[in-house]
Amino acid sequence: MRLKDCHNFYDFRKLAEKKLPSPIFHYIDGAADDEITYKRNTSAFNDVDLVPNVLRGVENVDLSTTIFGKKIDLPFYCAPTALQRLFHYDGERAVGKAAQKFNTMFGVSALATVSVEEISSMIDTPKMFQFYFHKDRGLNDSCLERAKAAKFDVMALTVDTITGGNRERDLRTGFTSPPKLTLSSLFSFAIKPMWGINYLTKGKFELPHLQDYVKEGTSTNTSIGNYFSTMLDQSMNWKDAEKLCSQWGGHFALKGVMSVEDAKKAVDIGCTGIMVSNHGGRQLDGSRSPFDQLSEIVDAVGDKIDVICEGGFQRGTHMLKALSIGAKACSGGRLYLYALAAAGQAGVERALGQYKAELERDMKLMGCTKISDLSRSNLRFRKNGS
Amino acid sequence: MDLDDCHNFDDFRILAKKKLPSPIFHYIDGGSDDEITLKRNTNSFNSCDLIPNVLNGVENPDLTTTIFGRKINMPLFLSPTAMQRLYHPDGDKASARAAEKFGTMYSMSTMANTSIEEISNISSGPKLFQLYVHKDKSITDDLVERCKRANFDGLCLTVDTIVAGNRERDHRTGFTTPPKLTFKSLVDFAVKPKWVFDYFTNKKFELSNVKNKTDKGTNITKSVIEYINEQYDPGMNWKDAEYIVKKWNGPFALKGIMSLEDVERAIDIGCTAVMISNHGGRQLDGSLSPFDQIKEISDKFGDKVEIILDGGIRRGTHVIKALAAGAKACSFGKGYLFSLSAGGQKGVEKMLQNMHNEIKRNMKLMGCKNLKELNSSKLAYR
Ligand SMILES: Cc1cc2nc3c(=O)[nH]c(=O)nc-3n(C[C@H](O)[C@H](O)[C@H](O)COP(=O)(O)O)c2cc1C
Ligand SMILES: Cc1cc2nc3c(=O)[nH]c(=O)nc-3n(C[C@H](O)[C@H](O)[C@H](O)COP(=O)(O)O)c2cc1C
Repeated sequence: MRLKDCHNFYDFRKLAEKKLPSPIFHYIDGAADDEITYKRNTSAFNDVDLVPNVLRGVENVDLSTTIFGKKIDLPFYCAPTALQRLFHYDGERAVGKAAQKFNTMFGVSALATVSVEEISSMIDTPKMFQFYFHKDRGLNDSCLERAKAAKFDVMALTVDTITGGNRERDLRTGFTSPPKLTLSSLFSFAIKPMWGINYLTKGKFELPHLQDYVKEGTSTNTSIGNYFSTMLDQSMNWKDAEKLCSQWGGHFALKGVMSVEDAKKAVDIGCTGIMVSNHGGRQLDGSRSPFDQLSEIVDAVGDKIDVICEGGFQRGTHMLKALSIGAKACSGGRLYLYALAAAGQAGVERALGQYKAELERDMKLMGCTKISDLSRSNLRFRKNGS
Repeated sequence: MDLDDCHNFDDFRILAKKKLPSPIFHYIDGGSDDEITLKRNTNSFNSCDLIPNVLNGVENPDLTTTIFGRKINMPLFLSPTAMQRLYHPDGDKASARAAEKFGTMYSMSTMANTSIEEISNISSGPKLFQLYVHKDKSITDDLVERCKRANFDGLCLTVDTIVAGNRERDHRTGFTTPPKLTFKSLVDFAVKPKWVFDYFTNKKFELSNVKNKTDKGTNITKSVIEYINEQYDPGMNWKDAEYIVKKWNGPFALKGIMSLEDVERAIDIGCTAVMISNHGGRQLDGSLSPFDQIKEISDKFGDKVEIILDGGIRRGTHVIKALAAGAKACSFGKGYLFSLSAGGQKGVEKMLQNMHNEIKRNMKLMGCKNLKELNSSKLAYR
């Protein structure tokens, strides 16, 4: 199986599984507890059907949308994800360049393996910095100042990781970062020699935003759950978020808001957007899916801030459905991560290109030429829901 | 595979399956008829989603609640289950000690292999005794008296076992107690020599609480089904229940009621708690699951009686959903029995630790500082 055999999400996933040592594949692919929420994030889209309109003259489709004051050419973007150089040796460099090529937003994690400075010198398209609120206030200030100096357009504070989720696949595979070669994991790494060679020869593995402050930065092996539970400040509250928002002074979002109440509070503290998200099902299993919750949130705050639906997207039609409900844009992690693991920048470009082609085709089939043509009148819910 | 590899219910179940002779494993694992209710008990939690709140400063959520007049340190406790010596040589002692360690309630079945007095000697933790009403009324009076003397905190009367459910797995495996070695079952036991060794080298198998009152308690090899049908009083009615409530005169629950009507009557006869339960899907197949029923009952009676959800709990989030729907606490059976089979007291402790961690972690992710903050605004039914 090669890149040219990848026609959709599932193909990329399969190729990624072939290329990655199993603990790393399962770190991406896994979620919390019984992974009920993870599955629901996608299956929720199937409880609603699209109702197309015909004979509308749909030769030219404009997929652009504006979020956080920036026009982007696609109504979806790359959510910030950690540790990308574990997935492919080019890591954030590959994803950033692919995002630039399609002129969409590139989300950079606090746990990125390439620095904000390097990314900002590399791409000039819209960039989002994802912030984790650490106990160490010096580290927080440094992250914020560096992202500001590197001219990032948006800051997103992640609020759904107050403690680590129970990722049982990681418990079984013994996933840590950087990878620690225990006897049991050794085998899974040994059968993927290309990954090992690239990992050891293409530059040292680092967490540039953290390493001056904490030993978890590079030298010691730690699990992600452990990082969340020991390094992040669990007492984080609305005051802290408000302070950060004003300290940043630009477009600011909360990532991982699910309740209407919290969405309203986000508006109150000065946020310009929120990501309705459960972290891809990786935190609270049993949590509602973003798509199921979307309409309530859009109704409450959609006219005041940018509401972004995040998680579960595997098809262009999934995005059409979220946009029809009123999301300003869609955001996803795995939708580009498997492609990154499968083939680096070329893989991510192929994946983004495919979603774009799907969206264009589906917009035409729906009888729509621009995102604002989509509305709830295009949708029918199967059950007695909204 | 050992205890270190057990991260959740399914892991403990697999390890228990490895350790137990198959008739015993299936006695725990099975339900009645087609096991529809057994499955629904857990699946019903998936028809409902949680809506978390963020930025609430939840470093240390308080997991305590009060049931049967005792404060417990987590809102999940051990349901009463019969014949624990079959699952591990330490039986009820292991369960009681583990529960005490975690500050939660241990429950003793009428059909335990350890006596009321033995348990009260080894544990000062919260204790509930589960009563079956035998045809011989003097057995009931005797049990109630002994629980009083032994300082049990509460009593529950099981009312969903008026006849035995149709546990088809037991028909097939020929499960009896004490285990009877037929040729067919011999093979099942022979492949688990460690279990057989433990069983025969430890204390004699008996139904310790009723052994002086009925010869069925020890000598005769009976299937549980036969025992229930022969010994328990199918004529039991509300008057009998009321008699026991009065006699006990302390925190009291009916275990195994499902209808709003019966909850109301339970309150009328003086119950302080109700355990909403279908006996873990082991009795009436097709019966409603406790979680599907809990909200309606709590909305109506939550301020009058302690509502306990019993059945289907496998995860911390299940407990959280039950509490958000109005339950005061939850109890589980198979959840700790598999861990008991897998590793005795250590096993039960590990399971309780896992559940404690899960409840605590997920309370933080829900943005809740204490159990009272869980309410129906946190739930979205599909
Ligand atoms: C491997 C992986 C790493 C992630 N790392 C982060 C992170 O560092 N910070 C963050 O806020 N979200 C992180 N996320 C969550 C994503 O931003 C996003 O919410 C999620 O992937 C959406 O679900 P989807 O993968 O179904 O699209 C990560 C997700 C994955 C799959
Ligand atoms: C092996 C086994 C034995 C049981 N024995 C009794 C018993 O003696 N008395 C009783 O009231 N309930 C008994 N139960 C039912 C439990 O108290 C409880 O209602 C049920 O296990 C809850 O469902 P769960 O297993 O899904 O948690 C038993 C359950 C099992 C699995």
